Amino acid sequence: MKPNELKYGDVDRLIIDNVDDGEFMIHRDIFTDEQIFELEMKYIFERNWVFVGLESQCPNPNDYYTSWVGRQPIVVMRDADGSLGAFINSCPHKGARVAHHRKGNAKQFVCSYHGWTFNTAGECIYIKDQESGAYAEPFNKLDHGLHRIKFDSYRGFLFASLTDDVPSLDEHLGETRALLDVVWDQGPDGVEAIPGNSNYTYDANWKMQVENCIDGYHLTSCHPSFMNIVSRRKTGESGNKSVKSIDFNMLNTVQGGTACLPRGHAVIYSPNPAESERGMYQHYDEAVARCGETKTKWMLATRNLTIYPNVQFAENASLQMRVIRPLSPGKTEMTIYCLGVKGESDAARSIRIRQYEDFFNTSGLATPDDTIAYEDCHFGYQGKTLEWSQGYARGMQNVKAGADEFTDEIGFEPDTGTYGRMMDQDETVFYGGYRAWKKFIKDGLESEAKS
Amino acid sequence: MLTKVEMLAEASEVLFLEAYHLDAQRWDDWLALFTEDCEYWMPAWKDEHEVTEDPQREVSLIYYGGRFGLEDRIWRIRSGQSIASKPLPRTSHAVNNIMVSALTDDSMTVRSTWQANCFFHKTNKSETFYGDYEHKLRKTAEGWKICRKYIVLKNDYIPTMLDIYNA
Repeated sequence: MKPNELKYGDVDRLIIDNVDDGEFMIHRDIFTDEQIFELEMKYIFERNWVFVGLESQCPNPNDYYTSWVGRQPIVVMRDADGSLGAFINSCPHKGARVAHHRKGNAKQFVCSYHGWTFNTAGECIYIKDQESGAYAEPFNKLDHGLHRIKFDSYRGFLFASLTDDVPSLDEHLGETRALLDVVWDQGPDGVEAIPGNSNYTYDANWKMQVENCIDGYHLTSCHPSFMNIVSRRKTGESGNKSVKSIDFNMLNTVQGGTACLPRGHAVIYSPNPAESERGMYQHYDEAVARCGETKTKWMLATRNLTIYPNVQFAENASLQMRVIRPLSPGKTEMTIYCLGVKGESDAARSIRIRQYEDFFNTSGLATPDDTIAYEDCHFGYQGKTLEWSQGYARGMQNVKAGADEFTDEIGFEPDTGTYGRMMDQDETVFYGGYRAWKKFIKDGLESEAKS
Repeated sequence: MLTKVEMLAEASEVLFLEAYHLDAQRWDDWLALFTEDCEYWMPAWKDEHEVTEDPQREVSLIYYGGRFGLEDRIWRIRSGQSIASKPLPRTSHAVNNIMVSALTDDSMTVRSTWQANCFFHKTNKSETFYGDYEHKLRKTAEGWKICRKYIVLKNDYIPTMLDIYNA
């Protein structure tokens, strides 16, 4: 395919989705091509709900924080009356950013270029020297406020869309709501981001991260150093007794499931073979009394959830939230959070934090092996002679449609899923994301052809 | 009692030696500079100007309450099982602006600024990490040892990864 010649029909050609005949293949161009990246940004990130943060990042009136929707900078703020809203972080006058910090509290935003001033509801409350400006009438009829974008929340999870032409957030989240409940309900007042920022970039495509989170197959081959360090701590060869991370060798002994959910979302899950070593286990009795044994079991399970396209909840020992921001086909920014139960005990929190730093930090012992592997793939994609990836074939014989006794336990219905030995390390869990990818882009191209 | 100038010279030697061991990948010598009960702590940032202050209630980039954490990392580096650790980047540490305080005969606090230039082979890229150090040194029978290394990483928008040899 030559650059800038991508046609509507080519989108079909990039994904061979022929499971009945045993084929599902991805064309490697989707990880490297500039024009495909443009379509992804336009139709998957800028015409869809994307995750923009947690309510706990903005708890009080006039709190704000800055974030992104696709390639566009936004500010999320709580107005004086306590209502949350999301706005493009750009002064309507000349375009300068109006919120300058990662987070803060301000009753108003004064643009530092020409002084236009906005309240925390996004309304323009002052145009410097408006009277002497000799403005023509059409100007006075314009809305001078910050551009408000579509915004909604589910429990404490905040989402925004740059267009109004999207289904309701409830419809978008759909089956994932039961799984978000399993995250949120871990505490009586929900979860919060524990203080301590972490941003990193990697030189590879954003979909590498989307896949990795639900890829059980890489664990034993990409993280043997981490697995062996955990084993060494158990045997006493390592003197480190202050962190009890999960021993992935134990996953060989358990059964688990994978599920593709509508609109690109996906989850993998299995019982935690060492649940008593989790921080959350410190509050086990409280959780069971409040949520019941089955839901508590799901809370303590290892469970990785991708809410397509840009947020993941990875839960093995601790609970991590990852936010993905694509910068180019070959560069991605990650913002990661250690989530903790609001009001949890010192013991629970310190167990959680040590486990999180051990595995999930980009200065930790596991995540760097993932990100370097993505970069090695991106390097390999220069080998354009090889057009197709063979990484979507495991488990194809085991896929079934709809709910089963396990997904029924907390009430979500997959489009397709598998259940069996975790060692089967299913790859069909990627299908939903790529089917949604194709649909978002084709729907977008189609609607544009009509208009 | 050593004079302040003599203390400065001794402190500088420990800090320079630590940097030298890291850059030469002399891991056993590097570990041997730390006491067994040392604290190794690189806090995360909370906003533009504040770092996390309580490693038990807030996230750090790296936190260990003993040398065991550093030993885990050195084991991983040497294991050949971590793709992020091979090939290891070449590094050059520079330690500057050294000030000693809280002097006693057998302990001192040493503040400094640091810069680690790192060359990553796979991408042919150089990355610079920099910030402040605060070392606490304790006099032992084998000479001065590091019983606390506190690292403030000023540029915490991290390109791909960060390990003990980058800071």
